[in-house]
Amino acid sequence: MPSPIRILTAVPICDGHDSAINTINLEFIRHGIEVIYLGYHRSVGDIVRAAIQEDVGAIGISSYNGGHVEFFAEVVDLLRKHGADDIKVFGGGGGTITHDDVTAMRRKGVDQIFFAGTALSEMAGYVREHYGRPRKKRSPSKLRDIALARELTEVEDSYASRKRSTSNAQRPTSKGKIRNPQSAIRDPRVIGLTGPGGAGKTTLIDELVLRYLSSEGKGRIAILSHDPSVIGEGALLGDRATMINSQDDRVFMRSMATRGQAGGLSPATHDCLALLAQSDFDYVIIETVGTGQEAMPFQKNGIVDLTVLVMNPDYGSRLQLQKIVMLDLADIVVVNKSDLQRARTAHTEIEQRLEQNRRAQRLIDTVAKRHRDPGVDRLFDLISGKSVAAVYDRRNKKIRRS
Amino acid sequence: MTVETKKYGAHRSPLQERSGLMNKLGQVVEAVEKYNQFVLDEVKRARADEGFGREVIDRWHETKSKTLVTHTPTGLPLPRLALPEIDEPGEIARYLFGDGLPGEFPFLNGVYREMYLEPIREIEAGSFGKNGEGGNAESKKRKIDKKKIDNQPKAEEPTRLFSGLMLAEDTNERFHYLTAHQRTHRLSTAFDGPTLYGIDSDADGVFGKIGEGGVAIDTVEDMVRLYDGFDLGSPDFSASMTISGPAPIIMAMYIAAAKRRFGPKVVPKLRGTIQADIFKEVQAQNETIFPTEASLRFLTDMVEFTTREMPRWYPISISGYHIGEAGSTPVQQAAYTLSNGFAYAEMFAARGIPVDQFGPRLSFFLDCGLDIEYIALARVSRRIWAIGMRDVFGAGARAQLFKLHTQTSGRSLIAAEFKNNLTRTAAELMLAYMNATNSCHSNSADEPFTTPSEEWIRLAAHGQAILLEESGIFKHTMNLLSGSPGMKAVERAVEKAILEEFREIERLGGVLAAVEDRFQRSQIQSAAHRYEQQIYDGTRPIIGLNRYRNGSDDIPEVKLTRTPRAKQKLQVDRLAKFKKKNAEKAKRALDKLADVVERGENCFSTLLEAVEVCSLGQIAGRLQEVVGRFRPMV
Repeated sequence: MPSPIRILTAVPICDGHDSAINTINLEFIRHGIEVIYLGYHRSVGDIVRAAIQEDVGAIGISSYNGGHVEFFAEVVDLLRKHGADDIKVFGGGGGTITHDDVTAMRRKGVDQIFFAGTALSEMAGYVREHYGRPRKKRSPSKLRDIALARELTEVEDSYASRKRSTSNAQRPTSKGKIRNPQSAIRDPRVIGLTGPGGAGKTTLIDELVLRYLSSEGKGRIAILSHDPSVIGEGALLGDRATMINSQDDRVFMRSMATRGQAGGLSPATHDCLALLAQSDFDYVIIETVGTGQEAMPFQKNGIVDLTVLVMNPDYGSRLQLQKIVMLDLADIVVVNKSDLQRARTAHTEIEQRLEQNRRAQRLIDTVAKRHRDPGVDRLFDLISGKSVAAVYDRRNKKIRRS
Repeated sequence: MTVETKKYGAHRSPLQERSGLMNKLGQVVEAVEKYNQFVLDEVKRARADEGFGREVIDRWHETKSKTLVTHTPTGLPLPRLALPEIDEPGEIARYLFGDGLPGEFPFLNGVYREMYLEPIREIEAGSFGKNGEGGNAESKKRKIDKKKIDNQPKAEEPTRLFSGLMLAEDTNERFHYLTAHQRTHRLSTAFDGPTLYGIDSDADGVFGKIGEGGVAIDTVEDMVRLYDGFDLGSPDFSASMTISGPAPIIMAMYIAAAKRRFGPKVVPKLRGTIQADIFKEVQAQNETIFPTEASLRFLTDMVEFTTREMPRWYPISISGYHIGEAGSTPVQQAAYTLSNGFAYAEMFAARGIPVDQFGPRLSFFLDCGLDIEYIALARVSRRIWAIGMRDVFGAGARAQLFKLHTQTSGRSLIAAEFKNNLTRTAAELMLAYMNATNSCHSNSADEPFTTPSEEWIRLAAHGQAILLEESGIFKHTMNLLSGSPGMKAVERAVEKAILEEFREIERLGGVLAAVEDRFQRSQIQSAAHRYEQQIYDGTRPIIGLNRYRNGSDDIPEVKLTRTPRAKQKLQVDRLAKFKKKNAEKAKRALDKLADVVERGENCFSTLLEAVEVCSLGQIAGRLQEVVGRFRPMV
């Protein structure tokens, strides 16, 4: 069966009208579409970068604050400039977009504009009909992200074609797409973040990215983020909307839907991660879907160098901690939202729980939502190996990987 | 201020810990309940205690005897204040304490004594019949000089037309056109998208947005051009600026522009309003640029300055309108707006600003739609605000007033058979005036599909004049439509529901904690969804849309005014020139600003210096480096 259609939706810069797009996103998902939602107040550069990295079939823009003729045209132009003009641009803006505007926008290469009063199902139908076709090969582009993004799509699609009949063990041999680890240009540190939903993983990653970008003058970072597919095969992949610092040319981010697999990752995760791990990044961060107690999503992969469990102080009774397998396995445990009243209790209880393991696990308290939070600074130092007592060990990594 | 030891919510931010912030809502609930009990006790006392009962009756008779009589155009005499037909001391006490006469605590019937009443030319004064029947024989006819009644509070002029387009000089021209024949100049300024988001016109990808939907302001020089030709220090001038995210920076630019034109002595004379409502941005409108706590801090810095240096300025307009437009229920709108207001009050008080200094400088802005709650929403809000301010914050009389601007609901207007929107707006206006709003804006019927055109703006404005001036509904008698059994029933139900919302917010740890939990946001979104669903399934009839639809929409093809590219280019060029000219000074000013912010001091006077040489985007960008950027809640 074919892969779900992937599209990107966003609201233009200087525009906070997100109620229409929120409703439309949900409608798209109901129709089996995977929607990467970038959020409101987004620049042309952010939109095009995200669309290329996510390798979507189309970009949907909901604009209510005027300036749409220029804005849509700039998106089309920038896609063209990067050789990604197979990504179509569509959108709407209620009564703010006139018929004359639409004529002008079409002339500039915008694919479709929906007027006020268009039924939601009609929009979803249009997207399904027009943006799901297999896309033609792109001519080589100077932008390396384009090729990488397309390779990731191919990996994902190869799983979709044998979906459900195939177990994880019988995954396709990636048709030579996965390069030999020895040929990797760099040797990125692969960091896996997992933890229950709502613990603040996404915000934490975004804050780590901010620290990386400001402390390292060059180099790039990759993020592989996961969100669950819903029944009917659509998915709302909304991490980008809150990851404001990660919308940057030095960040390659890919949002993946779990496409029916339990455990917080997608069937294609392993191969996608391998692909990223062999690309030109300093770090690859992988974020699971919010997971339950039993999961150890990274164990089998072997590519992940460092595992971080992000906990919410509200985990329930102390007994619950005994059931969380990840507490035995994680290299670093983070108690996020440590400004909550319960955080001190959580810290003490988790500390005791970790002591049972007699391993050099680290426990860090963070408030990821707080700007320049010292806890996040400490976590970044650990991850980037700046801390003297870094749990991270390069040699160890090589051994584990081989 | 005393540190609260009472239950903090789950989320204690450093800001909350510093000041014991934003958890007075529970006390407001208690105060309102206590006050309601007090009213019941007074009712009982008036019945049981003969002396007190007589006191109450005497006051009632005195009020009636002092009530002036007016004559309608047909010559019918009517009292200028209508009162319930009661003569039993308990019921009188219930009315006097529970509702209050217009202009008296708890202000259910209005913050002023005679809201929209027309000035009296010929009046009759005299005792008024016990049962409220007007004009008895004993009354003496006499003439009153018009001047004598001019000092009474009157309805505000309704002509504060929201305007902003293209560049500062274009909006300026428009302002002069709008105020050409008016004695007082009350300007209401709309800003373009880049300005609302604190970014410069030369920023990546905003070119097409320059001057769209509002005026483009990048620098103090734009601000000088914007109000050129107006006497900013005159008592007949006031400026309203609808902006929240970067409000303190824009406020600083306004002050700096005024000083450039009129010298430093103009500052205490400045009159006007800046919206600056961060909570509703985070809850509903999404125009915020700093993390919530940082925004609140900058706001408080500004309020501390304006309440001290600019006693005639309203530094915040606490707005439910955008909450209502985003889809909230009427009760949610009132509850979130009031609780936001109390949270601001708590914050300003915690900063050490006396409540009687900032209290009178707070104003409110509510939406008025067609749901029945709107018949009493503002009335109940006024009462809760007065009780909360008096009994929880210790506010004096002037700081208890819930001064309200109302706008009719934009969301209730639809494109299908759009001329029906005139009726919708008229009904909403009626509801707004029944709530004794201090001022009102009526929407244009063509709003659902275009920027309002002259023709429909005129009809909308005339709708107000027809109700207030042409019809006799509001100009002869205060309380004409107050206190019907139905209105009372709605008042009670609405008050109960608002207090329930307060309790929920308090359980979450107060307004800030609830905001960070996305409480208000998710409640609003869920209400919006239900509203759409009701339209879809027909349980919410919308005439011409899901009922009595004639099949064809009669939307005229509209021509919108767009900002020409040449103007947009001009704005970018001007900004480049400004930046080049001030490059050296800007760097120093920004460093100083960042330093002050890092040290946690009030940064507003440093902002005043910075705007002289820095653009809006330069300042907002530098502040974001220090305090972070707002992370959207999805």
